[in-house]
Amino acid sequence: MISANREAKVTVTNLTKSFGDLLVLNDVNFNVGDGEFLCIVGPTGCGKTTFLNLLSKLMPPSKGNICINGEIADPKKHNISFVFQEPSCLPWRTVKENIAYGMEVKKLPQQEIEERLEKTMKLVGLTDCANLYPNQISSSMEQRVAIARAFAAKPDLLLMDEPYGQLDVKLRYYLEDELIRIWQEFKTTVIFVTHNIEEAVYLAERVLILSNKPTTIKAELKVDLPRPRNFLDPEFVEIRKKVTELIRWW
Amino acid sequence: MATTEVNKTPEIVQPKPSTISNLFKNIWFLYALSVVGFLTLWDIAAVTKITGEFLPRPVEVLYQLVDMFLNPLAGKTLLTHLWFSLRRVLIAFVIAVAIGVPIGVFMGINKYFRAFFKPVFDLFKPMPPIAWISLAILWFGINETSKIFIIVIGAVVPCIINSFNGIRLVDESLYDAARMLGANKRQELIEVTFPASFPAIFAGIQISLSMAWTTVLAAELVGAREGMGFIIIMGMNTSKPAMIIGGMVVIALTAWLISVSVSYLERWICPWKVDLNNNQ
Repeated sequence: MISANREAKVTVTNLTKSFGDLLVLNDVNFNVGDGEFLCIVGPTGCGKTTFLNLLSKLMPPSKGNICINGEIADPKKHNISFVFQEPSCLPWRTVKENIAYGMEVKKLPQQEIEERLEKTMKLVGLTDCANLYPNQISSSMEQRVAIARAFAAKPDLLLMDEPYGQLDVKLRYYLEDELIRIWQEFKTTVIFVTHNIEEAVYLAERVLILSNKPTTIKAELKVDLPRPRNFLDPEFVEIRKKVTELIRWW
Repeated sequence: MATTEVNKTPEIVQPKPSTISNLFKNIWFLYALSVVGFLTLWDIAAVTKITGEFLPRPVEVLYQLVDMFLNPLAGKTLLTHLWFSLRRVLIAFVIAVAIGVPIGVFMGINKYFRAFFKPVFDLFKPMPPIAWISLAILWFGINETSKIFIIVIGAVVPCIINSFNGIRLVDESLYDAARMLGANKRQELIEVTFPASFPAIFAGIQISLSMAWTTVLAAELVGAREGMGFIIIMGMNTSKPAMIIGGMVVIALTAWLISVSVSYLERWICPWKVDLNNNQ
């Protein structure tokens, strides 16, 4: 279940979660390769949030394990980062200071922080507003800051929970391209959760499709299209249709 | 023909000469109108004696202020009286902030501390500080200590409430953001809790300052030999309403000036907060 010639960075085995009698997640197994961009799509209410909370170790699983580099994932040892649906910049830090925050928490040497800062800011085109506070920029810009911050910290695993859910289509395409640029630069392992099928096919190297509750992995699809991808490319449309077929619950 | 049209400088639209209606849309004019209108109404009321004998004209209040500024009242000029009140307010205010903010902050961040302090605090909170006057005089006598004690009682409450609520109402998503980047408890506290609750704590400090002014007056109304409260009492005892109103005006101006300085301090400490206000 993993792309060829890549080592598994994250291994999820028999992951199960139930709240009392309600079985939300049932025996989920999958791997994520080192530096892979994995998208997870599923029908609304399929336990997506629970899934992410388990992966980020905010919530203990009922059964099963999440391993990073062969060890059971531990927030103290591993570095699991999260980009939320809502932009989550610290209002009292400027754009630049926000991006530096993750690195400061990890107590990286100042020089390293400066270098990564400069690189990241250039990548996301935020150099001009480096010294603005979050309330002086738009919320889409704020989300870009949050994303830049997550990547700059070079996490072992980056979880993204529909970070572009609130944005309009045009801006979304633009930011998705940007996201791919940062990812290619930092080679981070990303799990991107969305219910937008087009977005998943546009971004992912591999798409996992979740079933309705109790959630299992219904199917897996490799997306081996060149980047930047074209929404009108017949191959793209074909894959999108396939995912849509797999996801429908009606 | 086409070229001449292109080269023609566009006609500059001159703003219309200001008319009466434009004048009424000018903020500064309205500010001035408000002040002048109020003073005029006051003057008319005083001249026609609508409210009886004891309303002086604004100009009489001004004369009284100048008089008190130049000639000592009970051995002290206006500025000395003001200084006495100001000193009481400032000493008590500093004590109140030094006690109140840490208590509120600890109540916010530690649930055991909260459980320990909250019942007693809830009992004392609704007690008007003025109710403490008699007790304060019995305990400390009619001197500075009793006055400062009463002001501290009044000023400490808003400090505690606002610091406590400020800490408790920090947006949960900010903690998530810090936690997800790997921040530990201590980093969360320093990087999230404190800066996020600064504005609320500052608001508490502002309220506490105006409470201090309210209570200093009450404290001085009882057995003070100096201070703004004393001037007001003197005005009453000697049937000089101009002195009372003069005292009130000086207090209002001083309290306002101090509150403006505290806002500047806030702007300096939380620049990100002020930008938000400016954008709105």
